[in-house]
Amino acid sequence: MSDEARYLYCVVKKEEELLLGNIGIEESSVYIVHHKDIAAVIHSCKPVPYDTTDHAKAEGWVLEHSYVIDQVMKKFGTVLPFSFDVIVRGDDDTIRCWLDQNYDNFKEELDRFENKSEYSVQIFYDYDKYVSKALTSNKDLLSLKEKIDNQSKGKAYLLQRNLDLKLKDAVSADVRKQAEIFEKEIISIANEVKADERPLFKPDNKYKDKNLMASFSCLVHIDKVELLGTVLEKINNLDGLAVRFTGPWAPFSFVDLEGAKT
Amino acid sequence: LKPEGESCLVEVLDRLLNKGAVLNADLIISVAGIPMIGINLKAALASMETMLDYGLMEAWDRDTREWYARQKTNTPLEPGENALFKTFGYLWQSNGISGSWVPGIWYITDKRLILWRRSPGEKIFEIDLQRIDAIETREEIALSINRVELELRYNDNNTARIYISEPDNFIRSLEEVCKIPAKIEIPSKV
Repeated sequence: MSDEARYLYCVVKKEEELLLGNIGIEESSVYIVHHKDIAAVIHSCKPVPYDTTDHAKAEGWVLEHSYVIDQVMKKFGTVLPFSFDVIVRGDDDTIRCWLDQNYDNFKEELDRFENKSEYSVQIFYDYDKYVSKALTSNKDLLSLKEKIDNQSKGKAYLLQRNLDLKLKDAVSADVRKQAEIFEKEIISIANEVKADERPLFKPDNKYKDKNLMASFSCLVHIDKVELLGTVLEKINNLDGLAVRFTGPWAPFSFVDLEGAKT
Repeated sequence: LKPEGESCLVEVLDRLLNKGAVLNADLIISVAGIPMIGINLKAALASMETMLDYGLMEAWDRDTREWYARQKTNTPLEPGENALFKTFGYLWQSNGISGSWVPGIWYITDKRLILWRRSPGEKIFEIDLQRIDAIETREEIALSINRVELELRYNDNNTARIYISEPDNFIRSLEEVCKIPAKIEIPSKV
């Protein structure tokens, strides 16, 4: 077994070999090796994974990986991005051989992403506004709320809890329904849409008081980005809603090399 | 709306660790998620609760982690069994003159009705669908609020008391899979 290894950043359409400079993880020298018209962006490393228990260090590595992909995307267009810490045992010839074996597969994926990028869409809603909406549109809830005012403290407390739960259910039903409508609109514009199952965070202060209604990763053709922006603007202008729209990113959520051989 | 070119750190980490192409083959030495780094960084992305779990995990050995991974995905389902409906709810467990409501997740599968406690995984109640005779609603008073409870009849003469906050879909699903006659009148709400 070879004692050499190559760290993979991405695969790109390129017909020449190039040095990209020391822009990689821990200032590794990143370069391109090609086979026919496709190429891998790599750096040479030891055959051991990047591993640490130091958070800051690990974050640094991931950001460096991300930086390389961003730069390659800017320079050469469409990329097939690899996840962090994918390392192949072997040398440059191993990589060329690997590109050769998977040529059709990689070419097909690159063509699929031609002139398209990934965009991220998050829709946030104002919980309090949705509660008022539920109260005005649902007579049962409203009468329950009115009933609470005439009760003794103890009973009022229990009824209030009951009402809060019902309101929560009503709001979440409403939110789900709306999210489905928005999703349909987005699907009609994007080439592919994936709903993010596990939304992670509130990005910044702007959305601090709001809850997440839905989060989508969208693969969008360059000609359709403006149209998507218009639709999102419309949603953003609705009362109690705010949209966060970011991109373009490499197609991380859509790339699929499951069938690749090594 | 114009797309912003900025993403926050959490998003970048999520993209690079949870997404992107991964290869599974002999030549591959590592992919994020196997070594420690994957676990550590993914912890930063996870909710508070999961983060605590991960925090504890650091000290654990490999076996413990594997056990944990199994627990994360644990369900009461047997191979080939499909869950048709799932909801949080309670079962009344009587203990002579006293008793208590035991919480868990009610599963209606294509074979059984199960009340499942996730941690530690345990089936609190299970019954084959063929053995279910009927499900009925009853209005009970709990904490001075009227609420709807369910009474499950099974194995000829047995009954079980069930509480689920929104029982309608549960009842409908159960009736559908068991083909038991509907006897449902949801009493007027509070």
